[in-house]
Amino acid sequence: MLFPNIYKSKKNTKNVELIQLKEVSKEYRKTKILEDVNLTIEHGDILGVIGQSGSGKTTLLNLIAGFIEPSEGEVVYFSAANHEEKNLSKNLNKIKRHIGFTPQHNSFYPKLSVAENLWHFGKLYGINKATLANNITNLLHFTQLSNHQNKLAEHLSGGMQKRLDISCSLIHKPRILILDEPTADLDPILQNEILHLLQEVNKQGITIVIASHHLDSIENICNKVAIVHGGKVHTHGLLDEIRKPYLKDHFTINLRSGTEKEHLLSKLQKVPLRKIIDEGHRLVIYPENVEKTMTSLLNVIKEENLFLHDMDLRKPSLNEIFEKITQGK
Amino acid sequence: MNSLILLTLKNIRLLLRSKGSALIIIFAPLLIILLLGLSYNTDAKYGINIGIYSQSYGDDTNAFIKVLQEQEFTVTKYESIETCTLNIKKGNVHTCINLPENLKVEDNNAKEVTFYVDPSRINLVWMIQETVKTKFSFKSQEISESLTQDILTKISATKTKVDEQSNQVSTIKEKNAAASTATEAAKSSLTAIDTTTSNATYDTTSIGLLSEEMSATTEKIDEAVGKIAKANMTAKDKTEIKATLEEAKGKLANASTLITGPEPTSINNLISNLQTDLNLVKSKLTTAATNIATSGTQLETTKTTLQESITSLASVQESLNQVKANLESQKITEAKTIASPITTKIEKVGTAGTYLNYLFPALLVLVVMFSSLLLGTTLVMMEKNSPAFLRNFFLPIRKITFITSTYLTTLIMVVIEIAIILGLSLFFLEESAPILPTIALILLIAASVFTFLGMIIGYIFTSEETGVLASISLGSVLLFVSGVILPLEGISIALRNITFFNPFVVTEKLIHETFLFKTPLGDVWVDLMILVAYAVVLFLIVLILESLLHKHLIHRFMKHKHPHLRQQEKKNKNYL
Repeated sequence: MLFPNIYKSKKNTKNVELIQLKEVSKEYRKTKILEDVNLTIEHGDILGVIGQSGSGKTTLLNLIAGFIEPSEGEVVYFSAANHEEKNLSKNLNKIKRHIGFTPQHNSFYPKLSVAENLWHFGKLYGINKATLANNITNLLHFTQLSNHQNKLAEHLSGGMQKRLDISCSLIHKPRILILDEPTADLDPILQNEILHLLQEVNKQGITIVIASHHLDSIENICNKVAIVHGGKVHTHGLLDEIRKPYLKDHFTINLRSGTEKEHLLSKLQKVPLRKIIDEGHRLVIYPENVEKTMTSLLNVIKEENLFLHDMDLRKPSLNEIFEKITQGK
Repeated sequence: MNSLILLTLKNIRLLLRSKGSALIIIFAPLLIILLLGLSYNTDAKYGINIGIYSQSYGDDTNAFIKVLQEQEFTVTKYESIETCTLNIKKGNVHTCINLPENLKVEDNNAKEVTFYVDPSRINLVWMIQETVKTKFSFKSQEISESLTQDILTKISATKTKVDEQSNQVSTIKEKNAAASTATEAAKSSLTAIDTTTSNATYDTTSIGLLSEEMSATTEKIDEAVGKIAKANMTAKDKTEIKATLEEAKGKLANASTLITGPEPTSINNLISNLQTDLNLVKSKLTTAATNIATSGTQLETTKTTLQESITSLASVQESLNQVKANLESQKITEAKTIASPITTKIEKVGTAGTYLNYLFPALLVLVVMFSSLLLGTTLVMMEKNSPAFLRNFFLPIRKITFITSTYLTTLIMVVIEIAIILGLSLFFLEESAPILPTIALILLIAASVFTFLGMIIGYIFTSEETGVLASISLGSVLLFVSGVILPLEGISIALRNITFFNPFVVTEKLIHETFLFKTPLGDVWVDLMILVAYAVVLFLIVLILESLLHKHLIHRFMKHKHPHLRQQEKKNKNYL
């Protein structure tokens, strides 16, 4: 447990709003960057914010973090104590204690050691010495930096530096951790390492908002996604719900031999299907109900002891959905 | 060649597009030159303030003061030389001149004019000395000319007198020559007197004998006469007596023979011989008398001539006395005094010291100014460009705390620096130990002022290089118009008044007074308050600037760090 005393009691806070953007618009020099954004971040979420470059993704993140104030609308923060709604901009000094922010580039002092960085930010958050020492120990252990605590931050590897950066963002036990491109410039192994760490952080009860170009990463760890496109939040919500409109209406199977294919086709006569296309070794099946048909098909294959060489029942990936949205398909 | 031109054009384009760098690299030196050029491009009078003290102000001194006032100096009269020197210490006047009551030289003692200067104003003190001394040189030359003219007038008068008396002397000379001739003639006349006499020796024995005989006879006759007349004697007796008398008579007859006898030895002959001799002598004496009479006449003439000479000589003497009196009226007789009737003396205000003493205040302020400016700028730049800049946004810390921390960091570094410098200075300037705390306090306030200035630059400029360059440029301008390198007195009047509020000048003045003249802080509180006011105002400006720029900085930071923008920048760079 990262912060046992703090988050133990907050396990049952699922579906409780933490931050809400209401009709938020942002203009820079009379150019609308974001328009009419309505977005709710609930406690325990891992919200992925994706979008093309220049889509307003970073602006959205900045609005959530309180770096910038909306031109129109408001960003509200729900307090932990009584779930009171507070305007983020107006109460920033109080609210920012509950926000952890990890920008794309490391945000610590390279010339300070790992422990010194944590001590520095921890003390500036006003954490008392004993608690801070405990937090640091836990964080170092949690981020596997215990053995490197006396190294200068600049001497750490890329992955370690990112872990330190996240540690610095967590030192004051924030309710929400906002990360801008946390896996940028990292190799795939380090990306996985960081994503795993974030999942672990989330398990501690910390809400996470991530903006990233790596849609696979977002897909892997986020339960919710907000797709920003053309200055608007095009879609947001649970990943499965986002996928729904983009689910395929068919699937394909590939059997070992033509005999087995014929056998299967005869058995499938009983299953309600809209259409079957025979493509030689491969069958393209358009069922009435994908899930029921799949279950029936798998039962037939099992009963008839057929060898299923290949089966494609892929859900549309986030990348595919994103492409469809951005390309207007 | 084309590549070279392309590369050069690219460099210029890149430089110009980096506005901050271009501004500082190209325009900062130009700006410095412009500022300094404007500052010193003046033929205005030197702003030298001269303090004058004299026990009483005579015509000469007033005339001299007027000369100074008519020229490039501002002259202030002081009641005492101490007050004047105190104003030197305060920097109100550049030099004090202790003038004599008047500049008239009346004896062999030259008039002494004492200059009091602050030797620590090394670049100014010689200039002041030379300039003011030149004025005195003119006056001295004027007096010297007057004295020489006096002497020449007297010499001329003497010459006239001597010319006049020269004729007199010629006459005396002629008269003396005539007297000499007359004397010579008298001498010849007197020489011509024959004073030779007969060498014959007269035998006077017979005369002696005669005399004896005559005497004896006389005595006997007298005796006989006496006896005969008185004696109651017989006739015999009387006969005998008569016989005796007869004998006496015989003797007398003999005597007569002796006198009148033919012998050459007879008295008669003797007398005859004598008569001859006497006649000869008489003749000679007559000649001598004639000669003497002639000489007497000549000598009378000579006497008259000599009397006239005496009169002439008395006249000459009188003239000489007049010349002497005239020459004696020239009281100034020493060539040195005539050549330099006014001497100047330089007195240093404050305790004498080495050039290190004099330069020490400026050096201290210089170190503090550049350290504080650069540290202030660098720390703000470091914080602004630090990767942790965004994280600091989330810290529940007030902006003023960040600003104060930057200020304190600079101050700590400067304090260490000051401690080292002051500590080392103890080896060379032991006597300064008691005033080091005062100096340290002033330096701390000055460090605050320069730190805030550096911080303002740090907030205004984008890159550390341009910020540092801007700090150095600002420091250089402050240094150039501080009077440490070039005297402020050469700056145009309008700018000169502004430069007195240059924090470098204010600090240097404070250290100067406390270090060199041991002035207590209570006496320099105005300058100290100016410095404190600077610090407070600049701190407020830093606060305002930070508040105004904070959001812009965050935006810039995020923009700068944003991957898309970085990619775009990369593309631009590649394109360029």
